[in-house]
Amino acid sequence: MATTAISTPAYRGEYSGEQSGLWSWLSTVDHKRIGILYLYTALFFFMFGGVEALILRAQLGAPNQHLVSAEFYNQLFTMHGTTMIFLAIMPLSAAFFNFLIPLQIGARDVAFPRLNAFSYWVYLFGGIFITVPILFAVAPNGGWFGYAPLTTKPYSPGINIDFWVIGLQILGVSSLAAAFNFLTTIINLRAPGMTLMRMPMFTWMAFVVQFLLVLAFPVITIALVFLLFDRFFGTNFYNTVSAGADPLLWQHLFWIFGHPEVYILVLPAFGLVSEVLPTYSRKPLFGYPVMVYSGILIAALGFGVWAHHMFAVGMGPIADTFFGLTTMLIAIPTGVKIFNWIATMAQGAIRYTTSMLFGIGLVGLFTIGGISGIMHSSPPADLQQTDTYFIVAHFHYVLFGGSIMGIFAGIYHYFPKIQGRLMDEKLGKIHFWLTFIAMNLTFFPMHFSGMLGMPRRIYTYDAGQGWDLYNAMSTAGAMIFPIAMLIFIYNFFKSRKSGEIAGSNPWGAGTLEWSIPSPPPDYNFAKIPTVTSRYPLWEGKEVDHESARINSQEGKTAAELGIVMPYNTIKPLLVALGLIIMFCGLMTTPILIAAGAALLVFSLYSWLLSPLEPEHH
Amino acid sequence: MKGTDRLRRLASYAFFAAFAIAAVSCNEAHPNTTLVPHSDFGREIDFLWNRLLLLGTIVFVLVEGALIFIVIKYRRRENQPTPPQTHGSTMLEITWTLIPAVILVFIAVPTVRTIFITQAQAAPGSLNIEVTGHQWWWEFKYPEYGVTTANEIYLPVGRTVNFRLRSADVIHSFWTPQLGGKRDVVTNRTNYLWYTPDSSTASSVWNGFCVEYCGASHANMRFRVFTVTPEQFTSWVAGQKLPAQFGAVATAAPARGPNPPPPPGSAPGYIFPREKIPDYAVPHSPIPPDLKFTPGLTGNAARGKQVFSGAACIGCHSIAGNPIAMGVLGPNLTHVGSRSTIAAGRFPMAAAYLALWIKNARKMKPEVLMPTLGLDEYDPVLKAKVTAATGGLTDQQIADIVAYLTALK
Repeated sequence: MATTAISTPAYRGEYSGEQSGLWSWLSTVDHKRIGILYLYTALFFFMFGGVEALILRAQLGAPNQHLVSAEFYNQLFTMHGTTMIFLAIMPLSAAFFNFLIPLQIGARDVAFPRLNAFSYWVYLFGGIFITVPILFAVAPNGGWFGYAPLTTKPYSPGINIDFWVIGLQILGVSSLAAAFNFLTTIINLRAPGMTLMRMPMFTWMAFVVQFLLVLAFPVITIALVFLLFDRFFGTNFYNTVSAGADPLLWQHLFWIFGHPEVYILVLPAFGLVSEVLPTYSRKPLFGYPVMVYSGILIAALGFGVWAHHMFAVGMGPIADTFFGLTTMLIAIPTGVKIFNWIATMAQGAIRYTTSMLFGIGLVGLFTIGGISGIMHSSPPADLQQTDTYFIVAHFHYVLFGGSIMGIFAGIYHYFPKIQGRLMDEKLGKIHFWLTFIAMNLTFFPMHFSGMLGMPRRIYTYDAGQGWDLYNAMSTAGAMIFPIAMLIFIYNFFKSRKSGEIAGSNPWGAGTLEWSIPSPPPDYNFAKIPTVTSRYPLWEGKEVDHESARINSQEGKTAAELGIVMPYNTIKPLLVALGLIIMFCGLMTTPILIAAGAALLVFSLYSWLLSPLEPEHH
Repeated sequence: MKGTDRLRRLASYAFFAAFAIAAVSCNEAHPNTTLVPHSDFGREIDFLWNRLLLLGTIVFVLVEGALIFIVIKYRRRENQPTPPQTHGSTMLEITWTLIPAVILVFIAVPTVRTIFITQAQAAPGSLNIEVTGHQWWWEFKYPEYGVTTANEIYLPVGRTVNFRLRSADVIHSFWTPQLGGKRDVVTNRTNYLWYTPDSSTASSVWNGFCVEYCGASHANMRFRVFTVTPEQFTSWVAGQKLPAQFGAVATAAPARGPNPPPPPGSAPGYIFPREKIPDYAVPHSPIPPDLKFTPGLTGNAARGKQVFSGAACIGCHSIAGNPIAMGVLGPNLTHVGSRSTIAAGRFPMAAAYLALWIKNARKMKPEVLMPTLGLDEYDPVLKAKVTAATGGLTDQQIADIVAYLTALK
């Protein structure tokens, strides 16, 4: 595969090289273009979920307000959580998995390029499926956690919950397909010399996250199948109106998925800042092996702490003790990560780029979320905190202060690699400071409103409860976010058109993805490099000079270089479409199920019978 | 340990300094605060919270301080050569693995102790209260006394109360922030929660909340706890045990406006005086603007009893002393006139609110199970108008029922 000899092109005209036009995007199997699709789609859903949050905050800005009805408010908070978790943060991470993993490990694509396209299309269609109902005020209204028996048919007879159950199943297909793909890619497609302990930290964290996905998503799938059967076929897993059902079964299954899900959301951001902080400090990541082990340990322990979401349900003192202690244990590897990031910056030469500001922001803000997390790892203390705004404050420091800050750090860092141009640093810094101020003004007062007794998930609250000031502050802070986001979006599109040309390594970074042109050619590496260290571009003596020279050449097509690349194909999209139609049929008419199944089977058959790429010669 | 006490106090001061600065501008009271406990359970939790806050504050200051110091000190300078390429330090990494572990021991030990103390069985001789969560109201039973009430609990101070928590439908959660932690009210299960209100809390009112999302009106599932002296409690129980004291009071005309005080001296037992209920325990929920009641009607309690007994009311509500009213789906109304709120703490108990409530409960509280009863009212759940054939009541009939119910002290 790594040959540079230019042989006679052995393939026909339908080779993947088309780089523009709608059809090229619909049929692409290039991991970079799929990554870009993920990025745009997820940013759209991020803003959609943000608008939902703005309405929530507007309603809670003052006591006894009724801008939206109780019913619609409940739909909004359900969809805000669902959108941000499944349609924004996870796919934003997936955008980076797609774009970066092959580049960081020195591969030409992921292991299964067509499966990769399939994952994206299922995500897009599933996202639309679960989002559209809110426009008609029939959105899911059981909370993102969907506790039974509230979500069973007797208590939620409408179609709202059906959209949620089926939508999450669809999105699970996407996540699982992608996870197996990336696992195979990371295990099998690493460049020569790229040992596991030389992998960039982002790829490492991505690797860990794929294991979490593979192990956690089957659990939610089963939990949802039970609920689906309860709702559609009258079984009694959670249906407490009949005897024998135990609603805690749902809670256990949900949180066995739900807690690892938290690490699925935050570890990719940890990986991104582990690239960002060393680059702008011009120092290797401090304690690389410990960073790897702590990531693995966080993920492993993450499967043993789920019931800390359930300290109030009355599990008894033994279970409370066990889950309290395991939860406290997780603080240790998490703390190590924070300290190692700080030590990475110590004695460095820190450049305050926008990306670095977001990276530092993650370290500072996630620490707050970690500390408040310890505060409710103690089960008795948690009895005053759980289901109050204190928890809302906590997980927004984790998911906004952690995941979103890390993802923005990643976007500013990798934008030049993706688009070939630099983002405007001045606008970027305004974006950072506005986001930082908005974030703290919105979420810090929630610690107070929570400890002052304000429950979560209430569409209104009475006057005179001592919560007015803190809610007004939160609402004021929330109103700053859209300004920050508009600046970001403007900067994004302006820089994409007319930003400064980036060159292959604008930041002086040390990892492999910066050795190739920006944006990278479809084949990524003209010659697969041989890797001898963790920062091959920094540790000059170890660079594979020959491949660096070849790879920095621009303007050569794969055909000219004799590199075999997969064909573009629309079939993954059609299979995904068939899947969605099938699920839509479950809610409407069996004819659609048959039609969807036919499309799925036909397209899949045709997919499996068509070759991935031209024959090798 | 004087030193840690001082540190703990310092940490609390730091926490509250930020807090006080924010609060001073509007001088809000904090009637539902978890930070000022008023029971043994609350104090156990507060001890842990103070320790967590102290250690958390120390970690916060050290980590954020180190972060800020380092990002300022090590900013890149002009013509700076490549910094030293250190890869790690085993000593340092072991150190900052062990320090958090040691801190956690100081949290874990009291945590485990508190878990077992607070989850032990309640002391014998405790006052038992059976709590049943309903969408969206609370049913309270005192089995020793044969008393059933709704959305309001009376507790004698200094005596341990043991709540037996069950749900009639979905999962709820029972919480009185000032008196201790919460416990979920789980379908098909029985949970327990106990605490002893401090003696100093006699003549106090506490807000209670449902804190597990339980559907459309989750926000409107509140309750009140009155902590009273043992003598007042005994008197209250004696009054509640009696059948409905119908007709003891002159009827009150429903009129819109602020909550009028009820006629005094009518209840047979002790009732927490309405005028002493602090503002935070008096509901301020707005009345739907499109819901109107004919002004100037005067209700007749005797007629009201007849209307009540012949209407849909009896399908869901019980009134001891009215043998026809035996429904169990809705709150027991035997002494409804002695309560301070209706609709699970959403509105004050007053003729004006009660009349509108009976007329169109679903406009007053989203998706409430109580049907719309006012003639020609639009029912937002059934999406239809109420007619005489479907049991619609005229404003006069409603005024009569209101007179009857407010008279039930």
